[in-house]
Amino acid sequence: MSEPEPIKVVDACDLDDELRFLLKPGGMVLDAQKRRHRLPRYFYEIPSREAAMSIRLTQHFGLNEFTLVDLKEEQRLQEFPRYIPCAVRVLAFYLEQFRKDAGGSVHIAVNGGYRSPSHKLSEYATPHMWATAADIYRIGSTILKGKETIEKYNGIAEDSSDDLHVLPYGHVTGLNADDHVHLDLGYITVIPREISEDRMEVPQEKKPRFAFEDRRHVERRSPPVPEEGE
Amino acid sequence: MALKARKAEEKLPVSPANDSVAASEISLYRNVLKIKEEHDLEELGISFWDAQTTIQWSYNADHYFHAASTMKLAVLIGVFREIDRGTLALDSPVHVRNRFTSIVNQETFMLDLASDADPDVYGHLGKTLTVRELAYWMITKSSNLATNLLVDVVTIESIQQALDELEIDGVRVLRGVEDQAAFDAGLNNEVTANGLQKMLRVIADRKAFSQEASDEMLKIMLDQQYRSGIPAGLPKAARVAHKTGNISTVHHDAGIVFLQGREPYVLVILTQFRAETGRGSAVAEVSRDIFNTLAGLTYE
Repeated sequence: MSEPEPIKVVDACDLDDELRFLLKPGGMVLDAQKRRHRLPRYFYEIPSREAAMSIRLTQHFGLNEFTLVDLKEEQRLQEFPRYIPCAVRVLAFYLEQFRKDAGGSVHIAVNGGYRSPSHKLSEYATPHMWATAADIYRIGSTILKGKETIEKYNGIAEDSSDDLHVLPYGHVTGLNADDHVHLDLGYITVIPREISEDRMEVPQEKKPRFAFEDRRHVERRSPPVPEEGE
Repeated sequence: MALKARKAEEKLPVSPANDSVAASEISLYRNVLKIKEEHDLEELGISFWDAQTTIQWSYNADHYFHAASTMKLAVLIGVFREIDRGTLALDSPVHVRNRFTSIVNQETFMLDLASDADPDVYGHLGKTLTVRELAYWMITKSSNLATNLLVDVVTIESIQQALDELEIDGVRVLRGVEDQAAFDAGLNNEVTANGLQKMLRVIADRKAFSQEASDEMLKIMLDQQYRSGIPAGLPKAARVAHKTGNISTVHHDAGIVFLQGREPYVLVILTQFRAETGRGSAVAEVSRDIFNTLAGLTYE
């Protein structure tokens, strides 16, 4: 098997005006409790749909699974190249563990992975804007709805790691979930070791800041053998 | 030419001699009353407009009925308004999610999967369907889930704006479907036969925002899969772009009828009955009578 292309990491402060406006790298946002959080600045650049499909973050999670959005996301952010905060890799790691404990394939809903600060559901800061949250609508062949099912998988997630936060079953948007399992890791920012941090937040057009992350083993990127029902 | 039967005067008029249109109207009126009586209908509303002869005929056509699924035509109009304005694209993906907010108390509710089993939409829960696909299933299989998703996308305000811009009165859209709290509060979508007739006429005339938008809507409506209403009273060769509406006490159909060799006609038939009566075949019988009347008409 040939070595896959490394993933490009960019400083989003160097992106064009429209993308900077939509992604707000390094910007401050308030959560529903009025706490301030600084948005991520370093993103993976996904050049094409094919790349999104082929890049594996873990054995069972591809990058494309975290980028599924609908018309609630800004059109420009649905066009390639697309951008996703580097912390998505940490989320994938935890989801892999959760998948093992849950005993079935984990399906992330549309709008349930990364949501930009310009996404229509991004009224307040949520870990989705850091790519550290996932809304899971199906595990194996089980559609997640109803108190019993959601609480069962919430429990598995909480037992899986103290780092994972879940939303309890209920009907209040943002505080509860009634048609999915919400998992998040809080507001994690990842800066890949390959990129050099620069305090300048103005675009560096002549010398844009980027690097290629190249630290994954080939076998870990290999797509898994599909399971029954996947 | 406009002919109007008055519901208040339920005594049958005497046929005037040598007047084909007037005689046909009287005959039609007589038949409609008979159907209403035979099917024990509480209310019947009919509105008819023929592009070929310009004849209009109506019966109780400004009476408001529970819209049932005929409100989905208004949602379709609202969707194509946004497409025409460039704020929405037919290929835009929409997250298929069974979770909606009541207009009454802002509480969330879910549709009953068992009563609206449309696997074409429910099978995509958690994934996306395009606006075009949702519009198609909303009309052709009357998918409640597709309807509520599209209402969320375009908003009720925008749908009403679309109706206002096209000068369609007689269609009141307040909410999506299966909002039980709204139903309990008496907040329902309502239509008149004349209101739906105006809406369909705008589409038939290719004046619903643009010719392209009108053509797209017609194309979808022509694929209607429920054919026990207006089409059941027509020859098999007839093509009908239509939308039905059924709940326990109403059965409606509103459509544009295309027959070979002539301009289309628009027909709206709204019926209301007691739940224990059942819906019967009144809509198809009225459709047949209208067709027979039109076929037998000698119009100069």
